[in-house]
Amino acid sequence: MTTATTSDLAPAVASLLQDDLLAVADTKLVLGNWYTECVMNGRSLPDFATLLGMCTASFGQTRAIYRYLTNFGHDFGALERGRDAGAIRSMELLDEAPVGWEDFLAAVWLGELASWMLLSGFLHNPDRQLAGLAKKVGQESYFHLKYTDGWMRIIGEGAAERATFLRMVEKRLPFALRWFGPAEAADPLHTAGQRDMPIGKIREAFLREIGKAASLVGAPLPTARPASFETSWRPDARRHGPIPAGLWEVVRFKDQELAF
Amino acid sequence: MTENEKRFDRKRERGGTTPRYYEVFARKSSADPLTHVGSVEAPNDDLAQVRAWFVYDQHAWKEMCVVPTDAIVTVTEHGKSAKIKMN
Repeated sequence: MTTATTSDLAPAVASLLQDDLLAVADTKLVLGNWYTECVMNGRSLPDFATLLGMCTASFGQTRAIYRYLTNFGHDFGALERGRDAGAIRSMELLDEAPVGWEDFLAAVWLGELASWMLLSGFLHNPDRQLAGLAKKVGQESYFHLKYTDGWMRIIGEGAAERATFLRMVEKRLPFALRWFGPAEAADPLHTAGQRDMPIGKIREAFLREIGKAASLVGAPLPTARPASFETSWRPDARRHGPIPAGLWEVVRFKDQELAF
Repeated sequence: MTENEKRFDRKRERGGTTPRYYEVFARKSSADPLTHVGSVEAPNDDLAQVRAWFVYDQHAWKEMCVVPTDAIVTVTEHGKSAKIKMN
């Protein structure tokens, strides 16, 4: 059986593919750090274990994608620990630390779902290595999303918790929608046969998934407002500007200074 | 109470005043029998599934399932000598 490889791609297409994969990998890096930071807010011992499991899975996904990107000539070490805050391409949704348990769940739910939706577009990529990587991340994301599903059911049992959760979703959803870029934009990766469906269709599927959560929380989810894009929008990073300094201090590798 | 304060609601966390337990069964390959590997406490099926998956991750299981303890009908063993503790 033959399979396409990264060397078969036109330079412009290869560049766009790397951009998207790096955005997913960096988002997983930040999600992993969110789980690390919030693990002691778990509600029980099994919850701690679950958050730690999701933390290590997220870091594993980050490294697996970085490793795949070496096919394009990237240096793994440089990707993992050789970049500054301006080069990290994580989802803007995760820039702001959670203000409470409901906000934490709203943010990681939207972050996990949006990053998985984007990566799911490569499930049938001509490069079997990338398709397999997407499938593996999908298998792990299933459990991460099941965690938030379970908590949404509990949140739905309390009026105050539900109201807080819905307010947090309303606050963070526009940032999740930005991740998919301007709605009317063409999708060269789909045209080139690299993405299974246009990014606009994936965005629509993301919104449908959001709507399904109504049965979990017992109330309709906030209506998505059109995402706004400023002049500082970086289409290659799927975000505006660099990540905040405070987040960078959390996610940057510190092993060299810890060694002294 | 502000949103920044950590709140404990044992009833909500445990899914009721009485803790709900699930027994976890798994097997490594299709040739292996489904074996009892442990138990988890969870307020609902979704969290039971994900907690079992991450707590009992010592093997790359081919199959894993959880069973609410209150759905198990014991045939012989009861009390302290039982492998699966009934409420």
